Amino acid sequence: MLKVERDQSIQDKLYILADAAKYDVSCTSSGVERRGAKGALGNSRACGICHSFAADGRCISLLKILMTNHCVFDCKYCMNRKSNDIPRATFSPQEICDLTVEFYKRNYIEGLFLSSGVLGSPATTMERMCETLYLLRHTYHFRGYIHVKAIPGAPDDLLAMAGLLADRISINMELPTEESLRSLAPHKSFTTILSPMHKIQSTIAAHRVALGKQAQMERSTINGYLPGSIFRVERGIEGEETAPLALPQSADLTRPFAPAGQSTQMMIGASGESDFQLLMTSQRLYQSFDLKRVFYSAYIPLNEDRALPDLDTPVPLLREHRLYQADWLLRFYGFHAEELLSAQDPFFNPQMDPKCHWAVHHLEQFPVEVSRVSMELLLRVPGIGPKSAKRIVQARRYATLSFDDLKKMGVVLKRAHYFITCNGKMLYHIPIEQSFITRQLVDLQRKEQWQVVETSNHRQMSLFDDFGVH
Amino acid sequence: MRVFTCVGTLEAMMTCIYDAWEWALSHGHDQMRLQIEPVRQYTLFDTYVHVEADEEKAKSVIRSICTKISVDAYVSVYYATLYEQDVLDEIYRFLRYGFRHGSSVMYQLAEPVVMRMMQIQRAVGNEAHLLREFTRFDCISDAVYVSHLEPKSDVIYLVARHFADRMPSEAWMIIDDGRKTAAVHAPDEEIMLRELTDDEFDRLRYTEQGDDYQILWKTFFDRIAIQQRINRECQRNHFPQWMRKHATEFREEYREA
Repeated sequence: MLKVERDQSIQDKLYILADAAKYDVSCTSSGVERRGAKGALGNSRACGICHSFAADGRCISLLKILMTNHCVFDCKYCMNRKSNDIPRATFSPQEICDLTVEFYKRNYIEGLFLSSGVLGSPATTMERMCETLYLLRHTYHFRGYIHVKAIPGAPDDLLAMAGLLADRISINMELPTEESLRSLAPHKSFTTILSPMHKIQSTIAAHRVALGKQAQMERSTINGYLPGSIFRVERGIEGEETAPLALPQSADLTRPFAPAGQSTQMMIGASGESDFQLLMTSQRLYQSFDLKRVFYSAYIPLNEDRALPDLDTPVPLLREHRLYQADWLLRFYGFHAEELLSAQDPFFNPQMDPKCHWAVHHLEQFPVEVSRVSMELLLRVPGIGPKSAKRIVQARRYATLSFDDLKKMGVVLKRAHYFITCNGKMLYHIPIEQSFITRQLVDLQRKEQWQVVETSNHRQMSLFDDFGVH
Repeated sequence: MRVFTCVGTLEAMMTCIYDAWEWALSHGHDQMRLQIEPVRQYTLFDTYVHVEADEEKAKSVIRSICTKISVDAYVSVYYATLYEQDVLDEIYRFLRYGFRHGSSVMYQLAEPVVMRMMQIQRAVGNEAHLLREFTRFDCISDAVYVSHLEPKSDVIYLVARHFADRMPSEAWMIIDDGRKTAAVHAPDEEIMLRELTDDEFDRLRYTEQGDDYQILWKTFFDRIAIQQRINRECQRNHFPQWMRKHATEFREEYREA
């Protein structure tokens, strides 16, 4: 490999490697509660803490960098692919540790997100990443959050090492089907992605059982009220059982293995999958791989290629937004993917969020009486979320609730009032009729939708540039 | 009507509640109200009674809240004492309702005094959480970290507690510029809350420059945004303008604006 990267300062490297890492969506620091300790630096909060918000409105929680943007892979959609002529850089383990610790002390970040291009081979890359994490945990005594990317094709013992050092470990799926993966990422395959995911999952489960916890990851407490949620339904493990990874002899077994679980990311709009396929894939990942999160990233055209959308294709932000909304419905509201979409109707309604869409198509169940309805159905009312549902269920034991009370509890009445009654009465005299309610709800969401779609590519018209007046 | 007034500390407020309650037992709870000093406008036909803080009385009020209502109720009363506005009278009305109904009071959100308490606790808690996110330390004189905040409610202790767990072996302090108080933490010791003298405050005022990592952080912050997705409105919703004054990545922008 030709190296022309002499005399790069840490500033130059950060400039290149932060830029190269920005297309990774995941930036969460949640899922682990770990107290600080004297003589060490850092703790971790289960709720996760964002530290800033970048100009694109995405949260910055972790120091998200690549160890190197050199890569031997040539995935067509990727900025850092081998065939692109871009400035390249590599951090040394010490540099990464220094940056992490110094940023952490200034409360800029919650921890480290370490990903990497493939330098030489997957094994050498992963080894160097593990070296970095080892240094950070044991020499710098860092107890903050660490999210590490597993490199597809890395050997098992290094995966085990990474899981013991990091809090969350993730492998990006990027494309949800075998065919699109073959055409767009020729060096990756479904096996190199799913088999490590499976191994990590069974190691996490084995480790959890050994520590006296249940094998599955904890989910939001609201799922305890929802007998029909995707996490409570009988899950079949696909394929055969995978044996857990063998951990090194010296491993400290009292420290949990990847306590914040696994996550993955899928691209939206690079290949021809429907929303239904994507959401079904997520649901399967949540159920049989016990993933904590699936992230979606609207595909941004960076490279020119026949297999990819054109460079001027608009970024499908609204589609991404709808998928996230649906993802939340799976994890916190007891919905199943099949209820929201079907093979006949495989795309989300762009004009209305999935929950409203479901509600107006199931008007036979509404309106419901707030003082009696079950938690399950209460959560399906648009405008009521887990927090307000819990408050309602607690408060209705002591008094009859009015619409005013609901509003103060955090219910979004402008959406909810079509579907609920308080004390037997609806808020306004309105027909319970699909076309009427649809019209009203679509009108409500016009602004929100405009914000998602337009503000990002909106530009003020200029007399000088656009019309040539000088 | 009788008005009981006190200064805005937890101890004084609890003592004020004690004295007011004692008086109300013989005169009725509707014949009095509570207020935090300074009283800017005295009303003509009311009698004003100043209450001095008393540790014993304050402790017994807190003990009663914890045992007769619940610890959760005390937590929300404590949060309310930190609130930016004077809500002492509302705390009193909440306690009156609470002593009658016991621990279930925290769930009776249809009751206006309880709902108000929930809203106040939420406001203070949210502000404290946002500041845990947006506090920025700057390194002065080799490994001493200083942060400036201007919170609406008096939350620096709540914020400092978070950092005491996070950085137990570092020397740091968080300064509330508006109230001129500071939470000071020496390595491996407890947090100390203290009021700053004018002299100390002036010396600590300009600590926000000259840390090399500020430039690195600014670089990272700028590079991590995706140009094709720029969305300032979304950014503003999550990181409100008024909280940006002391955030490293926005300081220059804030000064220009």
